[in-house]
Amino acid sequence: MRVAIAEDSVLLREGLARLLGDAGFDVVAQCANADELRLKVNSYPLDVAVVDIRLPPTHKDEGLVAALEIRARHPSVGVLVLSQYMELGLAMKLLSDSAEGVGYLLKDRISEVKDFVAAVRRVGAGGSVIDPIIVSTLLSRRRSDDPLAALSPRERQVLELMASGSSNQGIADALVITLRAAEKHVSSVFGKLGIPSTRSESRRVLAVLMFLRS
Amino acid sequence: MTAPGLSVGADSGLVRPPRQLVRWLIVLVGALAAGGSVRLALASNQLGEPGLQAALVNWITLPYIVAGVIAWSRRPDSRFGPLMVTAGFAMFLSCLQWSSASVPYTLGLLFDLLPAALFLHLFLAFPSGRLKLRLERWVVGAAYAAAMGLQLLKMVLGAGESRNVLGVVKEYGAAQTLEDVQLLALSALSVAGIGVLAIRRRGSGRPLRRSVTVLVDSFGLGLVMIAALLVAGAFESPAFETIRRATFFVIGVAPVAFLIGLLSARLSRSALGDLLVQLRAEPAPVDLSDALARALRDPSLRLAYWLPQFGSWADVDGAPTELPATGSGRATTLIERDGAPIAALVHDASLVDEPQLLDAVSAAAAIALENGRLHAELRARLEELRGSRERVIEAGQEERQRLERNLHDGAQQRLIALSLELGLLEDRLEGDPDSKRRLDQARREIGLSLEELRDVARGIHPAVVSAHGLAVALESLAARAPVPVRLSVNLEDRLPERVELAAYYVVSESLVNIAKHARATVASVDVARMDGLLVIEVVDDGLGGADTERGTGLRGLADRVEAIGGRLRIWTPHRGGTCVRAEMPCA
Repeated sequence: MRVAIAEDSVLLREGLARLLGDAGFDVVAQCANADELRLKVNSYPLDVAVVDIRLPPTHKDEGLVAALEIRARHPSVGVLVLSQYMELGLAMKLLSDSAEGVGYLLKDRISEVKDFVAAVRRVGAGGSVIDPIIVSTLLSRRRSDDPLAALSPRERQVLELMASGSSNQGIADALVITLRAAEKHVSSVFGKLGIPSTRSESRRVLAVLMFLRS
Repeated sequence: MTAPGLSVGADSGLVRPPRQLVRWLIVLVGALAAGGSVRLALASNQLGEPGLQAALVNWITLPYIVAGVIAWSRRPDSRFGPLMVTAGFAMFLSCLQWSSASVPYTLGLLFDLLPAALFLHLFLAFPSGRLKLRLERWVVGAAYAAAMGLQLLKMVLGAGESRNVLGVVKEYGAAQTLEDVQLLALSALSVAGIGVLAIRRRGSGRPLRRSVTVLVDSFGLGLVMIAALLVAGAFESPAFETIRRATFFVIGVAPVAFLIGLLSARLSRSALGDLLVQLRAEPAPVDLSDALARALRDPSLRLAYWLPQFGSWADVDGAPTELPATGSGRATTLIERDGAPIAALVHDASLVDEPQLLDAVSAAAAIALENGRLHAELRARLEELRGSRERVIEAGQEERQRLERNLHDGAQQRLIALSLELGLLEDRLEGDPDSKRRLDQARREIGLSLEELRDVARGIHPAVVSAHGLAVALESLAARAPVPVRLSVNLEDRLPERVELAAYYVVSESLVNIAKHARATVASVDVARMDGLLVIEVVDDGLGGADTERGTGLRGLADRVEAIGGRLRIWTPHRGGTCVRAEMPCA
């Protein structure tokens, strides 16, 4: 998998490059700002870009703007956005068009080497990754009449995994159950919450998040 | 008086009108005098047509006394009323010469020509009762000297009949010559008086409003007739008696004109009232001159402002202007504060005749100008204060932003890099579970530190607001709140950063308060733009009765909102929930 990195801190940029290189990725570009990243994305065939949300010159939303632009112009390139803050509003903004090939992770996650590498791969392959903090924020949100109360503990776990972008196979692996059992749980959750079911896993992420947010 | 054409406002004290008793007494004495004159005339054996003579004299005496008393009580500041009363009584005194007794006769003869001098004085002193020009004072003084001084001399020389007790010298020829000189002199002085009147009126470029003065001026005719009468007397013209009757008739009508002129052209209270109402209007009129011109009924009026820093006068637009020179037909009334001029009314010179009106109008203008100045000063101070509060908050904000940046770029990045390093190391220690566990533990510690740092950094400055805007930032706030929050944000574009930050703090502080104190089951946050204002409402269904004074939270919020020209209001009825509403200009 070919990957580009956009991160203004040299220390982190090189650390990420090393991490992804060790994990077998072909790191084709290391960029210090958003314009460099755009240039590289336009010039090289890429599978995925790992982008810091806060990039020079203003350190405001340059990374986010670049990420959304890449998703719009290069649908085949997945974008994993890293941030030191987890903002529900930003997650919704990133996913607003499509959750396909989009990831939004807390920057701290890069030290969970295996999980992080898996996340980059998933986004590069067109899947979605949503940070557990976002999912738990949504799940812990208090509601006047909580529909989540109807879920069994196992179904709740399945919902969490779905919200963070896991596929049915991913759910089965995470919970150490069979694929069939995982599928059964998924359709049960959809049924109980009244979410229209969809076969596309990335559209499923958005549907679940929208449900949890409302 | 100050220099001619320049009067200073607010220097005249209040003059009280005479008491009612005094007024009635004067009228009573006048009536008695009139009755006495009729009796004298009827008892006289020298007068032909005594009834007509008495009627002619009283045609003058009574109107002057009555009109004089009215003028005196209505316009106590003018000496014109007392002067008219004096003229009336002088006329009566001259009647005493009809008496057959020698002392009253002598007295009457002594005052024979005084009325002529008094009429001249009246015409020249209208309407203030004061003589302003030196020439006027000369003419009137000379007339009194001729009417009284020469008369006394003439009588000492034996003029009149044998009943003249003063006639000790008996030089009849000299007395006769002196009388001719006297009459011609008085006649000449009357003509001079007409000249003075004409010069004065022409010089004043009289405004239209002075139509009443025109009426009064027409009685300058009276002076012409007095002059003619005196000449006729000197030359013993056969027409003397006819001229005398006509003159008396005209002079007897004059008081009515004087009175009308005095009462209507003087201080018009209603115009002044209108002026005050106008000057009190909010906002005060920028240019006072229109209002002042209406009140003074002088369309040519303009207002000049003194600019102490330039040492010059300027009009309302700030263009330099000059005060009129003396004798230009324009006069200036200075408006002063603490002894220094602040403005000047440049008006028609004839208004100097109406010091009371000028004083009242310039006092009103002074109040309005002072008000305007105080308002401007207050506004400037408030603006300064608002500006400094804004600067203090902005400086604090910048400092916080800088700190947050430093944390983010420094400690946080380094800790993440360190954590990554540990993670990579951990990956390589497949065969050493103990080291792996300890590395993992260290990594978790770093993770906790990062979490704490994140909270600290967010507390210092909510970077997400600056970076991604209010709508995005509020999403997380609402999601994290321990009470279910219905969030509605209707914003199309980003707003100025300070407005977004203030709005963010309003919502976050309100949600914290709801969590801490309100015991609410649900809350709502509404953010929308309305007519150039950003309106934020945070409402809960909790206990209400929040203490808006205690603690610095709400006060700090109000400071923040007010510093950018906004307003924060809180409704918190007991057991009725709490509503925090902030309005901030965001155009």
